[in-house]
Amino acid sequence: MKILVPFKSVPDPNDVTVAGAAASTPKWVINPFDEIAIEEALRIRERGEATEIVGVTIGAPAVDEQIRAALAMGVDRAIRIDDSRALDPYAVARILGAVVEKEAPHVVIMGKQAVDDDSNQVGQMLAGLLGWPQATFVSKIEFLDNRTRAQCTRETDGGLEVVAIKLPAIITTDLRLNEPRYVSLPGLMKARHKLIETLTCDQLGVTVRPRTTTLSISSPPKRAAGTRVESVEELVAKLRQEQVL
Amino acid sequence: MDFAWSDQQRELLDAVGRFATQQLNYDVIKNDREGIFNHEAWKKCGDFGIQGLLVPTDYGGLGTDPLTTVAVLERLGYACKDNGLLFSINAHMWTAVIPLVYNGTEAQKKKYLPGLCNGTLIGGNAMSEPNSGSDAFALATTAIKKGSRYLLNGSKIFVTNGPIADLLVVFATADKTRGSDAISAFLVEKNSPGMNVARKLEKMGLRTSPMAEVFFENCEVPEENLLGKEGGGAFLFTRSMTWERGCILASAVGSMQRLLEMCIRYANERKQGGHSIGKFQLVASKIVDMKLRVESSRQMLYHYAWLSGHRKAVYLEAAMTKLHISDCWVKCCEDAIQIHGGYGYMTEYEVERELRDAIASKLYSGTSEIQRNIVASMLGL
Repeated sequence: MKILVPFKSVPDPNDVTVAGAAASTPKWVINPFDEIAIEEALRIRERGEATEIVGVTIGAPAVDEQIRAALAMGVDRAIRIDDSRALDPYAVARILGAVVEKEAPHVVIMGKQAVDDDSNQVGQMLAGLLGWPQATFVSKIEFLDNRTRAQCTRETDGGLEVVAIKLPAIITTDLRLNEPRYVSLPGLMKARHKLIETLTCDQLGVTVRPRTTTLSISSPPKRAAGTRVESVEELVAKLRQEQVL
Repeated sequence: MDFAWSDQQRELLDAVGRFATQQLNYDVIKNDREGIFNHEAWKKCGDFGIQGLLVPTDYGGLGTDPLTTVAVLERLGYACKDNGLLFSINAHMWTAVIPLVYNGTEAQKKKYLPGLCNGTLIGGNAMSEPNSGSDAFALATTAIKKGSRYLLNGSKIFVTNGPIADLLVVFATADKTRGSDAISAFLVEKNSPGMNVARKLEKMGLRTSPMAEVFFENCEVPEENLLGKEGGGAFLFTRSMTWERGCILASAVGSMQRLLEMCIRYANERKQGGHSIGKFQLVASKIVDMKLRVESSRQMLYHYAWLSGHRKAVYLEAAMTKLHISDCWVKCCEDAIQIHGGYGYMTEYEVERELRDAIASKLYSGTSEIQRNIVASMLGL
């Protein structure tokens, strides 16, 4: 079984102090949800259910650092789609769709969303474009019937939902699926010998143009300081005054 | 001269920083108080690749050069606050792994190095004795050959990793009257008949690194466990000590950098008399001294490692590096406590532990006085 893991480079969420300063943040990392997807693919391979894991990302050569991190975790080889434009989810899904057609994986595992824009759309759109089944927000994956189906536990607002989907399919990962391993020194050394293939949208035969434009990014307005009330009566009065009750 | 790290070196350094920050800093205060070695952290370091730095890839290591190795260890010391764990790792690397890499037979390397690299085996050496410390080659433990075995008799003290070691490099003499020429090194596995790891020694610092006395009473060592040549123990020990002196305080440079940053933060935040205490010149001056110590230590460390990597003689540089960094480390810790005032003396601030850990650096791998003797002798005195 072959697994394709798309991942995105995002500003290190542990290192960003000011919203809007993301573009100038020097430290970039693999989107944490995508890291969970990579970890899950590695675990599936380690239990003998997959033979190859291919990583794919879109970006300028600078994202090679995150590609090497993915290879160091254990991804077998990687593809970088050389495109430094700010692409919206539909454009990303179209490009990934072309990669899926080229690589013909049995399953695509990816983060449910990226922590920079929290769009949470690419996985669903990709499934739609391909006409493949999808299981989103997944916290457990089991393969059934000689790996022709996957049983996935989904984290939904109403509780856990267990679905069985036919492969090939798109699975997007929830936070609770696993805890990703750290990149080890031997992993980094081995990653240097692994292949990073660079492709352009032209080579994939896909033309995309962003359909949305980011006008500005700013911090949310500061919340006014709270006030301390002395009694329940005062609290109720204040809530009435604010027309909350 | 090129002082820039390559992209590949930067990758390793970033990875070790992330790994150590996330994986090695739990229960440090408790483990220090109770004298507990963190086995799990040791294994994680093995999986991560620390113990295999320098070791050729054929034997499960990473085969890094000395400069990259000390840079990784420096970053480890910056990110990991468990100095005892790092001391155990250093003892393991310089006194067990390095002698095996240089002097082990193919069979010995194949048998022990993969485990020593991946964290499943813990190594150490047994050299010091109750009556021979700085005068190491005056040791009294004997190794007499009987058929295909050696019989070891004697006692060793200050054996780092003694209580937890799977493999000890033990030095013993065939004939005490022949001095250093009669000393050989032996690979002694734990639970060898006749070897007794006695009481664990309580210490002032490095309390998470266990240390013991070890006794040998007709301890049988098969002849294939002779490490190096018969009578080659002194040479082997000197080489291992040179590596140790040069590299063992790489993590201390990282620790100093961490203390420096803590002090800068504290001096900016702590207000007295309406000012940040960093605005008081007596405080600022201490921080400047710390910065100078970190930088000079780092330059000496890198220079030693660069020379070592280029196969130049480093006997003098190793001794100077050890002497200088140990002195700087202790002084940095004292200043860090002074800058933090009463808080610095409190366990929860994790500054006082650094001082207790640092002081031993003027004693192990040859005291500061022995390092001075070495430097003096190399200067023709």
